[in-house]
Amino acid sequence: MDTVVIEVSGTLSAASSLFLASAGLTLIFGAMRVINLAHGSFYMFGAFLTTSLVGFATGARFWWAVPVAALAVALIGAGVELGVIRHIYGKEHLTQLLATYALFLIFADLALRIWGAESRAVPVPKSFFGSIEIAGEQIPKYNLVIVGTAIAVGVGLWLLLKLTTLGWRIRAAVDDPESLEASGVNLQLLFTVVFALGALLAGLGGAVISPQIAVTPGIDGSIIVGAFIVTVVGGLGSILGAAVAALLIGASETAGTLAAPDWASTFPYIAMIAILAVRPWGLFGQPER
Amino acid sequence: MHRHKNGALALSALVVVALAIVGASTASPSQSERQFKGFINIGISTTLSGSIATLGQGGLQGIQLAAADLNRQGGLLGKEIKVVSADDNATPATGAANVRSMILDKKISALFGPVSSAVAAAELQLTAQYKVPTFLHTSNDITLMTQRWTPYAFQVVPNTIMEPRAVAEYLAKKVGNRKLNIGTFSPDYVFGRNSVANFLLALKDLGVNHAVVGQQWPALGAPNIAPQLSALISSDPEVTFNIQFGGDLVNFTNQAAGYGFFKNTRMIGMYSLDPLKALGDAAPSGAIAFSRAPFWGYKKNAAMTAFVARYKKAYNAYPSEWAIMAYSAVQTWAAAVKKVKSLNGDKLVKAIEGSTTPTIRGPLKIRACDHQAEVPEFVGTIAKQRDKTVGHKLWNPEVFIASPAKTMLTCAESLARR
Repeated sequence: MDTVVIEVSGTLSAASSLFLASAGLTLIFGAMRVINLAHGSFYMFGAFLTTSLVGFATGARFWWAVPVAALAVALIGAGVELGVIRHIYGKEHLTQLLATYALFLIFADLALRIWGAESRAVPVPKSFFGSIEIAGEQIPKYNLVIVGTAIAVGVGLWLLLKLTTLGWRIRAAVDDPESLEASGVNLQLLFTVVFALGALLAGLGGAVISPQIAVTPGIDGSIIVGAFIVTVVGGLGSILGAAVAALLIGASETAGTLAAPDWASTFPYIAMIAILAVRPWGLFGQPER
Repeated sequence: MHRHKNGALALSALVVVALAIVGASTASPSQSERQFKGFINIGISTTLSGSIATLGQGGLQGIQLAAADLNRQGGLLGKEIKVVSADDNATPATGAANVRSMILDKKISALFGPVSSAVAAAELQLTAQYKVPTFLHTSNDITLMTQRWTPYAFQVVPNTIMEPRAVAEYLAKKVGNRKLNIGTFSPDYVFGRNSVANFLLALKDLGVNHAVVGQQWPALGAPNIAPQLSALISSDPEVTFNIQFGGDLVNFTNQAAGYGFFKNTRMIGMYSLDPLKALGDAAPSGAIAFSRAPFWGYKKNAAMTAFVARYKKAYNAYPSEWAIMAYSAVQTWAAAVKKVKSLNGDKLVKAIEGSTTPTIRGPLKIRACDHQAEVPEFVGTIAKQRDKTVGHKLWNPEVFIASPAKTMLTCAESLARR
């Protein structure tokens, strides 16, 4: 029983990491119907930029490095939308996949040239270094940052979509883009903003996770699979779905490590197949019209 | 129309400039071409991108420096050594395609192997078919020299039996008769599974009283290991044998430290140069570290000292184990070429079998029966303080060097596995 706290902490940490990696992906698909395989690249850029901004010293630099890295990735995202994505709206999904996969490969090579092949680590900021004791168990303080950021991103996105003009326009763009454009809204600018916001979320995810991982080339590909599973299981375009799916996937993997460690990595895929067999459009998604 | 004209003009200009550059580079023989009587291509197909690229890049730099050093001494057989490299993406099919192209198009005279044992397995069949001597300096699965044995392959790295046996031997000396609760943490593929199995077998053979309380198998390169880590911590192991490497080990160490895990368990991990550098002060002091060829383990070795200086000058960094092993692989091949004065695969194989070559790692003997190098594994503990030379933590001065005589399979055992 005394290890329940550790298991719950592990599950929440895993779920939060997955959600942070997938929130931008599902936002972009929901608003723009673009499957962005380069999403992992934005995540990777967020992490690498943080390593560069923080250097190897601990201290307060981390707290400004995170938003700066996320904003820098948002700018890269805006550039990608203007240069590439804008030209593939409404095209077949295969065309979008190929175009964004090409971006993924280009960005991977770019990162290798800029940051090299070495593993990089970001020191945990002093205020969240070490552990806290809960029910006699030591839990990493930094888990609070990851879980807190995931909750803030989830609630923030929900408020943005429900309560702001931008959110209303994003939702309208999903349902009826032609009418929205006819009402005088600059649809192309809106899409640039949404894509940049999605990139910002990915960059933020990479930046916030960076003290817990080894930042290496290849993390783009490593996280994209998990992010896609969460996005598809939650329902393409659903922020709430992504949050619930992240929790389910995290819990299924934790259950796997306890029940059958040899097969633990398989559990999330089993959960995905089971959910999609019942609801092919995901937990909170809608069937394609 | 204007745009088209401008475009055509720009294209023409580009072609002219490109031709000028090509012309400039081919107009007169380079200095190296004047100095040498032709060239010899050697190949390295390895992982240069993705999560294990650190290992591949280190190996490539070792090969490149070895070629540069040979060329400075006049090359081999009067010819310049040129390195042909390609990225295998840690994929067997890509590795095999790279090697086929290197053999058929680039006419490589030797291949220096990949990071992944799975990729190596795919490549060995090809190099055997074309009789190209192949040196495995990073991939170390035992099956490459036993079940998958080919006459043209040589392994200059401690294999997946030697490495865990060395660690078990060190542990046995430290714990005596006390019973140990052991947890294992390993990447979920053949290298990790074999290493863990052989470590536990070695403990049993050495009579170490132990019980396995938890085993976790996260995917190679998985950034999110929280579920496996929390399960391992819950099993409360007194000793944790972790066979992850590079970025995965950094990832584990960072996350486990947050749980205060290293206060409760004696960590054993492959803390080689790259993860120690990445972890900086977060490297767990006192943890048991093992490594295949750390430069700080070669004390009173002038050749290694000189190599470290040359490497530092060339790359502005200290050489990783992967660079050191790759360099020594080229030395082994080059010594054989000099001896037989030929690049013929069959002649080179005969020359290398049973040979001992002076290398930066000391005399390196290749056993004739299975082409496994008789090389040690290094085991120590992580220091508390930063090393003044490299600027981050390394190991404490007392390093256990496991003798290959104790860790290797006997020739009879090795042959029985084919």
